[in-house]
Amino acid sequence: MMMNGGEATEAELFLNCDDMSVLERQRVQLNYHQYHHPGFEPTLPCFFPNSSKMNVGEVDSFLPSAGLDLPEIYGELHGDARISVSPGNITTEFGNSKKRKFGCVDTETKVCNEKKKMMMMMDREVAVEEEEEEKSKVTEQCTRSIMKMKNKAKKEQNSCSNDSSKVTKDSQRTDYIHVRARRGQATDSHSIAERARREKISGRMKFLQDLVPGCEKITGKAGMLDEIINYVQSLQRQVEFLSMKLATVSPRLDFNIDDIFSKEVVSAPMMNLPNTVMPPHMMVNSGYPHDMVNSGYVHFNPMQQVVTSSDPLSCFNNGQSATMWDSEVQNLYTV
Amino acid sequence: MERQTINKNKRVFSAEPTKLSPSEVFTRKYTSHLVPALKKLNMDKNSPQINQLTVKHEVDMALALSAQEFAWSRFLLEKLSSSNNPTTTISSSSNGTRIPERSCKEDEDGEIEEKLRELQKLLPGGEEMNVEEMLIEIGNYIKCLELQTSALKSIVQDTT
Repeated sequence: MMMNGGEATEAELFLNCDDMSVLERQRVQLNYHQYHHPGFEPTLPCFFPNSSKMNVGEVDSFLPSAGLDLPEIYGELHGDARISVSPGNITTEFGNSKKRKFGCVDTETKVCNEKKKMMMMMDREVAVEEEEEEKSKVTEQCTRSIMKMKNKAKKEQNSCSNDSSKVTKDSQRTDYIHVRARRGQATDSHSIAERARREKISGRMKFLQDLVPGCEKITGKAGMLDEIINYVQSLQRQVEFLSMKLATVSPRLDFNIDDIFSKEVVSAPMMNLPNTVMPPHMMVNSGYPHDMVNSGYVHFNPMQQVVTSSDPLSCFNNGQSATMWDSEVQNLYTV
Repeated sequence: MERQTINKNKRVFSAEPTKLSPSEVFTRKYTSHLVPALKKLNMDKNSPQINQLTVKHEVDMALALSAQEFAWSRFLLEKLSSSNNPTTTISSSSNGTRIPERSCKEDEDGEIEEKLRELQKLLPGGEEMNVEEMLIEIGNYIKCLELQTSALKSIVQDTT
């Protein structure tokens, strides 16, 4: 079904056809609107990149694969049997709930464009603000929250498809946001964005600090990164070592999954130990095969700068509570 | 696909169907992937010695399959399935931590960037992510590695 002059009549024909399914009818309506309301198109650039090639059958395949990163919305759409987007003309047969969803989708794309306009306006605003700043630098009050609002809006413009609810909220606030930079700091949009990015990164680093044992004292970024690198490397080495052991042990395997599960569920939170190096003789007690211990751990320990849980069995035996890295696992204790 | 069916048959359900923490979920998934795979390895290969690399491959595969909600697991899965020869996930284990040169203070940022790059190398698929994503994924990766380690330990312990 090609989009040209004869299109409209064909569409009408479809609409009048009784034995057509409701879905097909709506598809046709959509094509119809697509053709007859060209102004409609720009607000949905992402959904219908190439309307001239649209067939009735292709509408459904277009929606998921249009390259739009709107997973949440697609989740809804898919659940509704691939109902095409046609905000202006939603038949009542589908009920109110679906209308609302379409409304969301439409606002989404509209908001996307609005946000772009907003950003341009904001840049101009910032330029104006800069001039004002220079005039009355000394007496200016610093408000960080407004800046954050702008950052948030900016970030969302960059990733506007990620979170629809946030975006719609922002658009409802204002058309443009005044920005006041902190005292003594640059006000151009690049450095603001840069600063926001840095703050995000340091937030992440803080989270990682909780995750990696023994990092509470370390303050610098570089030091933290060092610790993290070491920790990841040591974990990977441990996995390698254990799989080596598994390879030697596995011929004698008598897997009993229930046993394994029961042990794991109990012992998983006990994994993280304070950073102590276990002397080899302790491992002998814990019942490891001796040759494995000697060959495995003796060259293992010197390599590691951060040693964690190097002796699993003694940690199980002692029942040491971990320096916890995860509140969820803590819940495991209470269960 | 065979692996999936094997796992289906052998999946274990807890007696009390209460909510499971994500760690538990991961651990169970991991074990239910790995154990049958190892059994299969045992059964298939009549040779006395199971190849270490194959076991490592299975270990990594189980990790990737159990953590499919994370980006790095996709990369890991791709890496594992694309290469027929099992590869290790540790690319820099032989290198250790590089010591960056530090001529002046301005290099501090460069040092940090270098460390970030190194961290990216450790994470499967890390080089394709930007820094913020990578830091988030690293957190998940660390957690999953820890759980994997404990799972492996209990499997090993169980069989010795």
